[in-house]
Amino acid sequence: MTYSLGETIRKIWELSGFTALTWQELVMLLVSFVLIYLAIVKKFEPLLLLPIAFGMLLANLPMTDLLAPPSDGQAGGLLYYLYQGIELGIYPPLIFLGIGAMTDFGPLIARPSSLFLGAAAQFGIYIAFMAAIALGFTPEEAASIGIIGGADGPTAIWLTSKLANELLPAIAIAAYSYMALIPMIQPPLMRLLTTQKEREVKMEQLREVSKLEKIVFPIIVTVLCTFLLPSVAPLIGMLMLGNLLRESGVVDRLSKTAQNELINIVTIFLGITVGSKAVGEKFLQPKTLMIIGLGLTAFAFSTIGGLLLGKLMYWISGGKINPLIGSAGVSAVPMAARVSQVEGQKANPGNYLLMHAMGPNVAGVIGSAVAAGIFYALFGK
Amino acid sequence: MTFFDSLIILVFGLGLVFVVLIALCGVISLESKLLEAFKPKKPAEKKPVEEAEEVPEATCGELKLIGVEEKTAAMIMAIVSDESGIPLSELQFKSIKALD
Repeated sequence: MTYSLGETIRKIWELSGFTALTWQELVMLLVSFVLIYLAIVKKFEPLLLLPIAFGMLLANLPMTDLLAPPSDGQAGGLLYYLYQGIELGIYPPLIFLGIGAMTDFGPLIARPSSLFLGAAAQFGIYIAFMAAIALGFTPEEAASIGIIGGADGPTAIWLTSKLANELLPAIAIAAYSYMALIPMIQPPLMRLLTTQKEREVKMEQLREVSKLEKIVFPIIVTVLCTFLLPSVAPLIGMLMLGNLLRESGVVDRLSKTAQNELINIVTIFLGITVGSKAVGEKFLQPKTLMIIGLGLTAFAFSTIGGLLLGKLMYWISGGKINPLIGSAGVSAVPMAARVSQVEGQKANPGNYLLMHAMGPNVAGVIGSAVAAGIFYALFGK
Repeated sequence: MTFFDSLIILVFGLGLVFVVLIALCGVISLESKLLEAFKPKKPAEKKPVEEAEEVPEATCGELKLIGVEEKTAAMIMAIVSDESGIPLSELQFKSIKALD
């Protein structure tokens, strides 16, 4: 047997991933590096952006077969199996379970009219839907793009996985990126659409909400929303179960697990599998750029919708409601509420809007889940 | 789907979101009112004046501060109370003197 060093090196080179690397994969690897940088250095939604970026990195390394489905009796790739949690619509409701366990609906119960603001801030979803239809997207794709305006990552992922699976990475990345950019997107619109006098309004302290009210709330919401719109059951049901675990006070261990270990584990799986779908050939298309543009439109119009209804409520209430809390109706808990607080304090240093903005903020979570349920009822198979 | 169809979906979809959340708002308001109505009434609290009359008059005597500011003395008393586990109201300080 003859041994040739040159031949051996050639074989190793041919078997390595370098020869199989396409230009699209190379670009996606670079994009993943940028996203990792943004997550670690700029801290843009790092909890989700980091696993998404790393999933993207893994998926674009050639010859790994991480996404391969099982065939000929051979097991599939790791990411194929983890992706089933999205494919089957399991991860987003589990994330909602954790969110429910972390959320205090007290401000919403104390001022139920916050729900109107949560509804108005879904305006951008439908504007983006119309814009996407005008640009030639199918109704299923347009609905998935529009839901970015709900500023609710799990809802966007849930709906997109049901209606337009191939757009999932672009929509998830756009949704989470814009959520991270809320402190930059919302303030100019808030200042543009409100007067100094409106921004200065100090709101009355919210009434105290009893424990019984907090326990009854998730049960009522689940029953009412599911009766009116059965398709929202997975999201609203799990959100409210998480909240009931928290408020009941008798299952502290379950509540803590839902808001810590469970949501963290699911976030890792969700992030890495969403990122793994961003494969170069499918991701690097003009459609992706259009989705990113439409996502920004959706976010902006949702903010505008909330602010305009906030102004109406300011007028109806005789100046008792600060319209700045309207922009918090775009879910993104608690970031959007914090933006309302910051802008309110800029106008009037003695202004504390955080708790008032939390009402529309959590109402937005329910509102975007309802909007997703409507789209699913209209376009779901 | 035409642009006009998408406009109809805007009106219908956003309208339905409002209907669901308005219904929710109504039910939550009703729930709060019902729970408030059926809440067991707390027994009327005693008037503070009456309570004040029942409490026997007590004084802690006079505290001499030697080379110590009032603020520091208050802090020392709080620490002693906390360390000893005796409520401040049951402790009596006669004097607090700064050591050289």
